[in-house]
Amino acid sequence: MSIIAIQPTKRGHSESVWAALRRNPAVLTGAGILILTLAMALSAEHFFPGDPMDMVAAPLLWPGADPAYPLGTDSLGRDVASGIAYGARASLLIALSATLLSVTLGVAVGALAGYHGGRLGDVLMRITEVFQTVPSFLLVIVIVAIGNPTVNIIALAIGISSWPTVARLIRAEFRTLREADFVTAARSQGFNNRTIILHEILPNALAPLVVTASILVASAILIEAGLAFLGMSDPNKPSWGGMIGSGREQIASAWFLTALPGLAIIFVVLALNMLGDGLNDALNPRLRRYLP
Amino acid sequence: MVDRLRILRLARRTLWQAVPTVFGILLLNFLLLRLIPGDAVDVLASESGGATEATLALWRSHFGLDLNLGQQLLAYLTHLAHLDLGVSPRFNMPVSQLVFDRLPNTLLLMVGALGLALTIGIAAGVLMATWVGRWPDRLLSLAVLVLYSAPGFWIGLMAVVVFSVTLGWLPSDGIETLGLDLHGMAWLTDRLKHTVLPVLTLSTFYIALYARLTRASMLEVQRQDFVRTARAKGLPPTRIAVRHVLRNALLPVTTLAGLHFAALFGGAAVTETLFGWPGLGRLTLDAVLSRDYNLLLGILLLSSMLVVLVNVSMDLLQAWLDPRIQVE
Amino acid sequence: MSFSRRQLLIGLSALPLLGASVPFLPNALAAAAAEAATGRRIFNLLVNPEPPSLSSFNTTAGTTVTASSKVLEGLLRYDESLTPQPGLAVAWSVAADGLSYRFDLRQGVKWHDGQPFTSADVAFSLDLIKRYHPRGGSTFANLLAVDTPDQYTAVVRLAKPAPYLLRAFAGGETPILPKHLYETGDPLSNPHNNAPIGTGPYRFKRWQRGSYIEFERNPDYWGVDLPVVDTLFLKVAPDSAARLAAFENGSLDAGGQSPVPLSDLARITQSGKLKFTTRGYAYSVTPTMLEFNLDHPLLSRHEVRKAIAHAIDREVIKKVVYYGYADVSVSPIPKNFPQYLYTAPNPYPFDIAKANTLLDEAGLPKKGNARFSLILDPLPYGDSYARTAAYIRSALARIGIDVQLRSQDFPTYTKRIYTDRDFDFAVVGMGTMFDPTVGVQRLFWSKNFRKGLPFSNSTHYNNPEVDRLLEQAAVETDEQRRGDLFKAFQKIVIEELPSITLVMQQQVTVFSARVTGFETDGNGLDGSLSDVRLGDEAIAHG
Repeated sequence: MSIIAIQPTKRGHSESVWAALRRNPAVLTGAGILILTLAMALSAEHFFPGDPMDMVAAPLLWPGADPAYPLGTDSLGRDVASGIAYGARASLLIALSATLLSVTLGVAVGALAGYHGGRLGDVLMRITEVFQTVPSFLLVIVIVAIGNPTVNIIALAIGISSWPTVARLIRAEFRTLREADFVTAARSQGFNNRTIILHEILPNALAPLVVTASILVASAILIEAGLAFLGMSDPNKPSWGGMIGSGREQIASAWFLTALPGLAIIFVVLALNMLGDGLNDALNPRLRRYLP
Repeated sequence: MVDRLRILRLARRTLWQAVPTVFGILLLNFLLLRLIPGDAVDVLASESGGATEATLALWRSHFGLDLNLGQQLLAYLTHLAHLDLGVSPRFNMPVSQLVFDRLPNTLLLMVGALGLALTIGIAAGVLMATWVGRWPDRLLSLAVLVLYSAPGFWIGLMAVVVFSVTLGWLPSDGIETLGLDLHGMAWLTDRLKHTVLPVLTLSTFYIALYARLTRASMLEVQRQDFVRTARAKGLPPTRIAVRHVLRNALLPVTTLAGLHFAALFGGAAVTETLFGWPGLGRLTLDAVLSRDYNLLLGILLLSSMLVVLVNVSMDLLQAWLDPRIQVE
Repeated sequence: MSFSRRQLLIGLSALPLLGASVPFLPNALAAAAAEAATGRRIFNLLVNPEPPSLSSFNTTAGTTVTASSKVLEGLLRYDESLTPQPGLAVAWSVAADGLSYRFDLRQGVKWHDGQPFTSADVAFSLDLIKRYHPRGGSTFANLLAVDTPDQYTAVVRLAKPAPYLLRAFAGGETPILPKHLYETGDPLSNPHNNAPIGTGPYRFKRWQRGSYIEFERNPDYWGVDLPVVDTLFLKVAPDSAARLAAFENGSLDAGGQSPVPLSDLARITQSGKLKFTTRGYAYSVTPTMLEFNLDHPLLSRHEVRKAIAHAIDREVIKKVVYYGYADVSVSPIPKNFPQYLYTAPNPYPFDIAKANTLLDEAGLPKKGNARFSLILDPLPYGDSYARTAAYIRSALARIGIDVQLRSQDFPTYTKRIYTDRDFDFAVVGMGTMFDPTVGVQRLFWSKNFRKGLPFSNSTHYNNPEVDRLLEQAAVETDEQRRGDLFKAFQKIVIEELPSITLVMQQQVTVFSARVTGFETDGNGLDGSLSDVRLGDEAIAHG
């Protein structure tokens, strides 16, 4: 009797998250645009020395009319190209810090509510609901009216108005995950609550959080633009929303003043949304390729 | 019979839970408003071009603004218990009258925008899901993504330039043409023409949102076992698409639509300013600018209650659609 | 597949047909169509922002004056040189000592509710204005009494002469109110403040808050065959793009206070359907000024203020900030008072080098990028002050002063400047009104420094000589001597710089070419609009 050697079945593996991200065209495009924008924001001084708010030339020059000002000038004679380059800073800064604030607040509230549940959870969710039911844009306007429109206050206002979304998401995740086996295991090993929340559950809730964060950054940019439209933007720093706001008067004749910063906003928000989509797909285990 | 009982219990529970929420909103707004520098009398004085110190003191005591925070809150709550929203110092009118005068205009805008967004969005989403991966899907997806990323008021501004200034097809301000005593169809047409641009501006973001969501949701549901079963059973494709796939795919959409009601109030503020639409959004802005606490509280209270109401209805709708949802 | 591609294509091709079936009105004919449909002559006037109330006896809010003056009239009207014309008074005379003014009133005038207009109404109204109007208190400060010897004669008696008084009787500034409706109760909460009853060419009909105010023609108006307009709408339009579109498609006939972006004026008036004018603002010219908080450690120093003055090029402000629609001015008194105007050259002309030297000599060298930093608060009314502030920022950067702009809403601004005095310097614009004593004195008179009172002396300027000059000019009846007093006053403030006057704004009125009859009024669109005509007068009206 011959023994037929049975070949061990070759086991492949599911591709890693990183590999899934790398092959996703949406992620690549989105990340690419964002990196470009970031580079532009950081190197603005190099390409546009001087103060972007300085009145440097004849007002309302069309793009291309004067080679020194490729994107034209606004109604006060300020360089539009310089404004867009420096404006990336304010817009990105506001969006990123607002999102950081809302993520921090949201995770804190949501984690506690989801993990502990019971009375504490109810109270926390009640508070979340209160903030969520007040129309968020109106809340932002009220907060900005309390202080002056500066980059810090605007970021604070947007952050405060958007944390409920994160809180609800994190709470849902924690409610599901706290029943998981690895949590029981960790508890039986004697880890305290704080360690379990931070080191066990939170890393597993990261995926939807990252996707939500990218959407929050995008919406923060849009909210800032809306605020600037209503006249509540920082007058000392160029921002894309602010440029749309001050260029609004000339919409019929020099519409490039509104169109160009609007396009900049569209590009960045588009990139963020594509990144979010891509992250969503890449982090979805069912969409990952099987590599034999 | 059991079904109806379940829904009634659910309704009662959700409404009961809404009370502390509304109270919390009241408290929050009251505190926030007091933090804004200046009060309504400052506004009245500066708007009139100045006033004597005596007049300022008189106005302050007349509007109860010289009391401390606790007393003002108590006074407000007492009025509220009598269903009295107070008087607006800036407009010299009862708050309830101001709010209910403008409420229909805002509701028209919001319901119109939501309706349009749901119709076009879901239709687009269905189209994209039907031709997933092929060029109609790719094209629509790109268009939807751009729509999703553009500031609504920017699109509104561009629309005003094209349709109002250049082409002259649509009006750009107000809710109706003044001075015409129109009736019937003519009145309806005039009102509709004034509504087109504002509703379009407000809805762009949500069209894109619902399109994306419907597409993702339909693709998700199409993969489910029961769809495969239906196909195996030989049911006609239209019937599968509508009765099985779409019906289930719409659940997340309806949830979101309810949540967006609150967000629409804020978006309405920008749209209403752009088009001179006499609605609650603009009234809120005016109230903040004129430190009109009574008016602002009245609006925020009303809008919050409306949101709670819509959320409750959404919950009930879902409970009716999905028999698995029980009272916890 | 439920849809076939063919079905989809057929569906899409039907869309253009849908669009074409929506009827549309061609450009600039909306109003005319309305009139053709109803036979009524309709005039659409812009008000921006929406007025807080409709009676101007207790407020100087710009749009309240606009609305109020259609319904409530004054004793006099004025032409472009501010010469008095008959209004509710047909003749008037001033006593030699300037202490009494006699007005012969128009007879047969009725209030909108049918009651007769008499001198009792005049006496009552002037007293009301003195008590409640923000400027009335100082304009009529010397009012002793108003005698009414008969129904149609009113004699205004003063304790001291008031040389500016004859110009104070415009309908928007000093409206005559019906005594029988205001004599009981608190005038400030009288419901007629929002539904006025007056003697004017238009009757109040309806106020649709947030949208429009409707006035209808007064058939019993004292003006013969006037007004021609049947319905007057005051439309609220907060957004500049929407206003522009409204002018272009005909839903607005006229709007004052530069209602459209000035850079668009040439374009929209090109076709001739729309016109613009800078006439009609003689009753109040508004200067743009830079006011310093003289209690600020650095700005209390004269050299610092002189340096700032040297760094500002008024021509740039005129050409860029105001698109050319402004008059460069060093003096706080405008050109329409030639008898009072100080015309010596600017002691601090535009000179960057000089400015830098002054600051160096003042012991304020550059530390790093800048010498010191200041916060600038522009008046949040329209955007011209913010633009001026942006220019100031740019200009002062060249002499090493780092200027931070602060943006806030109106109540926060007035509280900060006039109550808390928590500011460094501000860009302001306060109307010079119909006489320097009324509009200019309030900014420089030390007794008008009152915390908590908006639009008072915000700089805390206190110069006894200036006080003396202003107080004397307030009661000086001889025009020549008065002029000398004002000129001496201007010389001092132009040198001492408690504030820097930059330009006198030119306001622009945009109007449809078919509209005539308002530009010759010194108050322009803020007059009663009784003489407005809308093109052809062929349509008969009842």
